[in-house]
Amino acid sequence: DPVANLYTFTSCVALSDLHGDGDNKLVLGDLGTGLYNMKLKVYRGTGLVCENALIDLPTGVVAFLMDTSEPRTPALAVASGPYIYIYKNMRPYFKFTLPVLPVNALEEEVWHQAKEDKIDPLTLKEMLESLRDKSEVALSVKSLRYLLLDPNEMEGYVSLYKMQPIKRQTIITCMATLKKNMADEDAVCCLVIGTESGDMYILDPEAFTVQAKMALPSVPVYLDVTGQYDVEFRITVACRNGNIYILRRESRRPRYCVELGSQPVGLVRVNKNMVVGCAQDTLHCYTQKGKKLWTVFLPAAITTMAGMDHAAKGFQAVMVAMANSQVHVYRDKHLVNIILAQDVVTSLCFGRYGREDGTLIMTTKGGGLLIKILKRTAVFEEKDMSPGPPLAQSIRLNIPKKTKLYVDQTLRERESAVAMHRTFQTDLYRLRLMATRAYARVLEANLAPFSSSLSEPLKMNAVVQGIGPCFKLTLNLQNTSANQPSINLLIS
Amino acid sequence: MGLFDKLAGWLGLKKKEVHVLCLGLDNSGKTTIINRLKPSNAQVQDIVPTIGFSIENFKTSGLSFTVFDMSGQGRYRNLWEHYFKEGQAIIFVIDSSDKLRMVVAKEELDTLLNHPDIKHKRIPILFFANKMDIRDALSSVKVSQLLCLENIKDKAWYICASDAVKGEGLQEGVDWLQDQIKAMKT
Repeated sequence: DPVANLYTFTSCVALSDLHGDGDNKLVLGDLGTGLYNMKLKVYRGTGLVCENALIDLPTGVVAFLMDTSEPRTPALAVASGPYIYIYKNMRPYFKFTLPVLPVNALEEEVWHQAKEDKIDPLTLKEMLESLRDKSEVALSVKSLRYLLLDPNEMEGYVSLYKMQPIKRQTIITCMATLKKNMADEDAVCCLVIGTESGDMYILDPEAFTVQAKMALPSVPVYLDVTGQYDVEFRITVACRNGNIYILRRESRRPRYCVELGSQPVGLVRVNKNMVVGCAQDTLHCYTQKGKKLWTVFLPAAITTMAGMDHAAKGFQAVMVAMANSQVHVYRDKHLVNIILAQDVVTSLCFGRYGREDGTLIMTTKGGGLLIKILKRTAVFEEKDMSPGPPLAQSIRLNIPKKTKLYVDQTLRERESAVAMHRTFQTDLYRLRLMATRAYARVLEANLAPFSSSLSEPLKMNAVVQGIGPCFKLTLNLQNTSANQPSINLLIS
Repeated sequence: MGLFDKLAGWLGLKKKEVHVLCLGLDNSGKTTIINRLKPSNAQVQDIVPTIGFSIENFKTSGLSFTVFDMSGQGRYRNLWEHYFKEGQAIIFVIDSSDKLRMVVAKEELDTLLNHPDIKHKRIPILFFANKMDIRDALSSVKVSQLLCLENIKDKAWYICASDAVKGEGLQEGVDWLQDQIKAMKT
């Protein structure tokens, strides 16, 4: 469907059996035009079933089972801003707010004084500025906003907002699910969220309380989670500083760290390894402990990445969508398939859609929706992609041919070599003499357009433009010394 | 007419038996259609997804059909070809409300028609564009376009719209199938 008007990313696409009838639906968090028209859309088959308006830009959409009650209808979690909106049966069900962050004590003190009208707006601004420069804990949104204001707007702002308590909120950047204590497909899941303040929270599925909190040195952007919460789990996080951190159970700080050469643009786990797409058009594969296994160079920039897991065939691969509107499917480091799309693909999702197991859903940059179904009889074979000798070897070198004329010439040279040499040397003497004479004459008459003397290094040339009785004469004058200005020159 | 038919049946000692394969994707309504064709006292009330396959019998005015009701789920579809040899006719059921999987149905039909056991036999194929009662269902003309049925040149085929829950359209299809088989025998 090329006119579906869907603008979304891989993190905002989920496949789920929303009504528990064995018919999987596609849930998309549509970004709309970026500022308004954000919608949560549900597709069934080829048509749109329902859509809900969203208040803010969605950053992640996942479907998960909250409890063990029958029928097993999964809940839908949409992360946007500092909130997670939980939908059940496509009805708003719950709104989770991230815990607020601690506020700087000094900042609180300053605002307290302002509340009692003890300090005027200008000193408030100065104190907040000095706080910003030296303190470790960042200022709240309220103070930062205040610092941006013009002096004449400050009075009104202080009187308006001094009564409100200061709170510092953070924003969700990524979201994933983690099985609680069973590895089944329909097990209860915990939500794992990464925030702008560099923290990871693991939420309880029913009560929506924070079960664990972990700190990261940078802002997480891509998450991958394996294992079970109660037994052992591993969270792989790609961060905005170009590093990958691996978190495990019982560790508040990352255990391993992998440094990438550039920013990560996608993170996919295949079996026990993780595949990372970099902004330098490369695909790296690392083990769980952070050892590099292989690197593949791609022909264009990566737009998005997703995993492909076909359980019935036992086939796991990585799909990489690129800026040349191709989608490559890699198993280990072998390219097994290339899909050509009409437009640049921005989001990928592979899984069970409707009643068909191997369905690949893509949305394009122009807002189109593409659905492809993997054939039952399809086999992925690893073609030997290593090319033979490069093509350049088969091109003949461009060596000029020699004719009879050349051979006669060499014969003559062999017979009278001595005479030729002598004549040429005498001519060369004469040439040198004449060149020196002419040069001396030019120096005497000051005719050369540049001077290379140390005191006045100058370069000048004149250009005549135009035809007819009027001409335009441009003189380009340039001082060529390193650091010596020429002053008091006259053009006569 | 019915009396005459019955008389002919008795005179011919017993009805001829035909083996029919009932194929189609999962959830297209194969078991429901066959259940509808059985006499009303033998009909089952609730229908569950078929596992593997099941063998059913039903009779029409002139013939006695033995139907291999195959499961249409992806993992059982490779069972289909084991029964291609016995099949003297094929009933292919399509869920006409499932636009998304029409390509899958076409893919399965193509592999079926290109199978060596089927390719050179001139057996009749009856298509049921099922689930006509659903609101956004495609018409039987549209379905036959999407499945490229006009490309089938060497076999007799017929598509009829049906609603297996109410039993509409089924008789029409089975009558055609019976005529075809009779014509083939003689």
